[in-house]
Amino acid sequence: MPVTPDLSVDLAPGHKRGLLLRNPVMPASGTFSWGFEFEHHFGPEGIRRLGAVVSKGVTMEPRAGNRQPRVAETPAGMLNSIGLQNVGIEACVRDLAPQWARWETPVIVNVAGDTIDEFGEMARMLDGVPGVAALELNISCPNVDTGGMEIGQSVEASARATSAAVRNTDLPVIVKLTPNVTDPVALARACEAEGAAAICAINTVLGMAIDVDRRRPVLPRARGGLSGPAIKPIALRIVYDVAGAVRIPVIGCGGIATSRDALEFLMAGASAVQVGTATFANPRALLDVVEGLEAWCAAEGVARIADIIGCARPAPVA
Amino acid sequence: MQIEDAVILETRPAWEGAYITWFHAPSLSRGVEPGQFVMVHCSRERTDPMFARAFSYYRAEGERFALCYAVVGRGTRWLSEQPPGTPVRAYGPLGRGFRLPAAPSNLLLIGGGVGIAPLVETAWQAVAAGHHVVAMMGARSAAHLLPASEWPREVEYVVVTEDGSAGPRGFVTAHLGSYQAWANRIYACGPNAMFQSLADTLRGNGRRQSPEILMEENMPCGWGMCYGCAIFTRHGVRLCCKDGPRFNLFDVF
Repeated sequence: MPVTPDLSVDLAPGHKRGLLLRNPVMPASGTFSWGFEFEHHFGPEGIRRLGAVVSKGVTMEPRAGNRQPRVAETPAGMLNSIGLQNVGIEACVRDLAPQWARWETPVIVNVAGDTIDEFGEMARMLDGVPGVAALELNISCPNVDTGGMEIGQSVEASARATSAAVRNTDLPVIVKLTPNVTDPVALARACEAEGAAAICAINTVLGMAIDVDRRRPVLPRARGGLSGPAIKPIALRIVYDVAGAVRIPVIGCGGIATSRDALEFLMAGASAVQVGTATFANPRALLDVVEGLEAWCAAEGVARIADIIGCARPAPVA
Repeated sequence: MQIEDAVILETRPAWEGAYITWFHAPSLSRGVEPGQFVMVHCSRERTDPMFARAFSYYRAEGERFALCYAVVGRGTRWLSEQPPGTPVRAYGPLGRGFRLPAAPSNLLLIGGGVGIAPLVETAWQAVAAGHHVVAMMGARSAAHLLPASEWPREVEYVVVTEDGSAGPRGFVTAHLGSYQAWANRIYACGPNAMFQSLADTLRGNGRRQSPEILMEENMPCGWGMCYGCAIFTRHGVRLCCKDGPRFNLFDVF
């Protein structure tokens, strides 16, 4: 008799609160707004199908974001320079969290500090707030003048940001890494050492496009963050490297559009995946990935999806 | 939001460089407000280009809808070249459309270039609701005008061309004449330069009531997820796809 595959994963097994997901599929920060548009179009049952919800990046103060143009379509991908448009942490706690508390699906709040201290302060403000299940530290946004990737490109600053957050909250702290460094493994190890519950890899890859007719960069800040299928091999390689170097769970992110993409990341060692840009091209992308994983497990006779995590990695040396 | 493979029924020229394409797609054709839009994938594999393109509804009736679009890039060129029977992935209807008054009123519709497209569905719904409609179209030349036969016959259609090859010469906003005083409500869609000129003209004439306008911005997603289509208004930043595409002219220009 066929059994329903168990898709659940624990993203914070060593943490006192834990972070148990019914399946390993969640949106990437900044591609899901605050979750309410998805609920509007796909209903509460749509939210219930997801392993977790990840919010857009929240900053200490509200931000209007960058001027136009903010996006440029590129082959198999897009460049974005949104600039962390958001309502600010106070409105997040006051207006958004009570709505998230209605959902069974855990909500991970992506926090983007300008400074190390802001990561600690925002972690403190979100601690114990009903509706918030975990934090994801955004030390990897390429589209702001301060904080973001500036912190995430330094091993020392990444460690300090992690430590500041972990010391100020009982919530599991996930750290989202930038790929725009020589050695992402060193960043991951430093964040693990400071108490990160999990690592998310990767944020967008720094890129650029030029409008030949105008003889100017397409984006006003010239550089933007490249996402979409174009970056999947880069993301997969980094996940593979990081998962081999840390004991905490890794969340794979970068170019995942289908359940087979998701399986690649799980087999590389990711415990969960984030679907981002694919949602823009296919509003059902997240749901398609969940359903595809269920179907694949059933067809392959995989009873627990956790059993395939890291299965493509070389066997450990005894 | 409905997602459906809309099937192309017919594509015919609207004017030089622009086309009208009819689709069979029941779920995308029902309950459409004038000014709402639909996201249409303009590649077979949906990988290059990856994102759907946003088109305002030109018509929606029964189980069919139509788009009127200028060929401006790869996506619109591909769409214009597909034969009848081609399925095209699309999702919609999306966004907030025009609000028509409850009581029969005098409505002035002003379109610049391909911005005329959503005003045609607006006119059909307005006429059906008993409104009096004047539709003004500004275009480069006589070769770039929507044919008069596309409008309900109750509509008074006024054309203005930049080269004077049809109607008065110049920009449509310079030829509002007595229509602006006649109109209880004004609705407009066109390029930002037209909106700015319209705002300046109406303010100069002392009009307090803001026209409703439909704006355009790059929309990768179309449903409020990506924040790519920000519009900066007097009341703060808004998303064209989710908070619009209907805005008050005087809030933006």
